[in-house]
Amino acid sequence: MSLKYGVLGLLKVEPLHGYEVKNRFEAMLGGTWEVNIGQIYTTLQRLERDGLVRPVGERGDRGKLLYELSSEGKKALDDWLAQPDSGPQQLHEDIYVKLLLATRIANGDLQQMLARQKRAFLQRLRDLNRLEEKARRDGRIDLARLVRGALLHTEADLKWMDELASEHFGTEGAAAE
Amino acid sequence: MNSISPNLVALARSGLVRLTDVTKVYQGGITGALDGVSITVEKGEFTAIMGPSGSGKSTMLNLVAGLDRPTSGTIVVGGTDLSKLGEAGLARFRRDHIGFVFQFFYLLPNLTALENVLIPAQLKGNMATGRGRELLEQLGIPDVADKYPARLSGGQQQRVAIARALINNPTLLLADEPTGALDTHSGEQVMELLGGLHRGGQTILLVTHDAKLATRNAARVISVMDGKIVDDARLESPERAPSEVIRVRSEETPPAGARRAPETK
Ligand SMILES: Nc1ncnc2c1ncn2[C@@H]1O[C@H](COP(=O)(O)OP(=O)(O)OP(=O)(O)O)[C@@H](O)[C@H]1O
Ligand SMILES: [Mg+2]
Repeated sequence: MSLKYGVLGLLKVEPLHGYEVKNRFEAMLGGTWEVNIGQIYTTLQRLERDGLVRPVGERGDRGKLLYELSSEGKKALDDWLAQPDSGPQQLHEDIYVKLLLATRIANGDLQQMLARQKRAFLQRLRDLNRLEEKARRDGRIDLARLVRGALLHTEADLKWMDELASEHFGTEGAAAE
Repeated sequence: MNSISPNLVALARSGLVRLTDVTKVYQGGITGALDGVSITVEKGEFTAIMGPSGSGKSTMLNLVAGLDRPTSGTIVVGGTDLSKLGEAGLARFRRDHIGFVFQFFYLLPNLTALENVLIPAQLKGNMATGRGRELLEQLGIPDVADKYPARLSGGQQQRVAIARALINNPTLLLADEPTGALDTHSGEQVMELLGGLHRGGQTILLVTHDAKLATRNAARVISVMDGKIVDDARLESPERAPSEVIRVRSEETPPAGARRAPETK
């Protein structure tokens, strides 16, 4: 989803070749999302089929083809940008399932599981802090912004685990539902 | 040589700060504020202490600072067993070896910033005006020297308090939620300053609720709960590529297993 609109957005700035789209998209995501060039061409072909982008100039060697946004493409992009992200909160992490299960079945091990998970997240915070520092030093502002988001998310997860750890676990977790 | 090196090793390992089975029960307290705490902090370490409210973090710092005495157990700082010191000895120990920074700064309102910074030096009989100014400069606030605390922002007041804590070149810098009363930006600046001091060799024991800030500088995070140490995590600091630290997901991204190569190999 965001790859499609990422391509549209980058083409709104200026017409680009496929490999330029790839490079700029990856740079914007600070190297955290590698896209293979095949995915980019497939996406461009689909967008062209749907009338959202069109090739500029001669249709020759595909690698050298320059793409630009059509007026339909501009509209689709503007609509997407204007639409707030209001879907359900996505919790991708395994830990949500793992720890909820653990409150039911891990008995005495829960505190230790929490301690191990907290330790891993503290390490993640340390890695993120170092990455943010480096990104700022290197002037990679997009990456620094992404890292900031990740830091705050990890902090929230740690706080959630602290709340779990301070609850008194008996059978009430399972019994309440 | 052979007879010396084991001693040197033992000395090096003995730690700058050593708590052994430390317990603290306050008068009127039903349960102990600290319950059998043992930790060793090495010279030059930046250690963060984290835990819920009431878990005993401030108690631990106050005991290490010699502001209060444990109910049982021993505390050794820089080779000095604090239980062997009388009140006067303890006051001298604090003055010579401990710098303390608090959440609410505790600057004296009727003294200027510089005068506040100089208090601990004057207790030692030193004027130290030059060093005081130098510290304010180093902490980025040379222009507040002659201002009164009420005229300073929270971040500036905390930096003055840090300068005051450093004026006697303390063996150990203790900071109890030094960013707790500051906004995000000032808090980051104060933490950056602590990081700089650490890189300059300062041993620091920091209590904080902010894990993001703690892990910037501290490579060790001690977790306290109900007066007990429940974890003592030593963090690594390798250089990692962005994609090893963050992955932006999308429905179009191939399943996790296919992209996890570096970890599962
Ligand atoms: N001077 C005191 N007299 C009696 N009880 C005290 C005293 N100081 C602290 N306590 C109690 O000792 C326990 C530990 O307190 P402490 O201040 O060390 O916690 P903390 O971890 O620093 O909490 P916070 O995060 O809220 O600052 C708490 O139950 C507290 O009520
Ligand atoms: Mg406290």
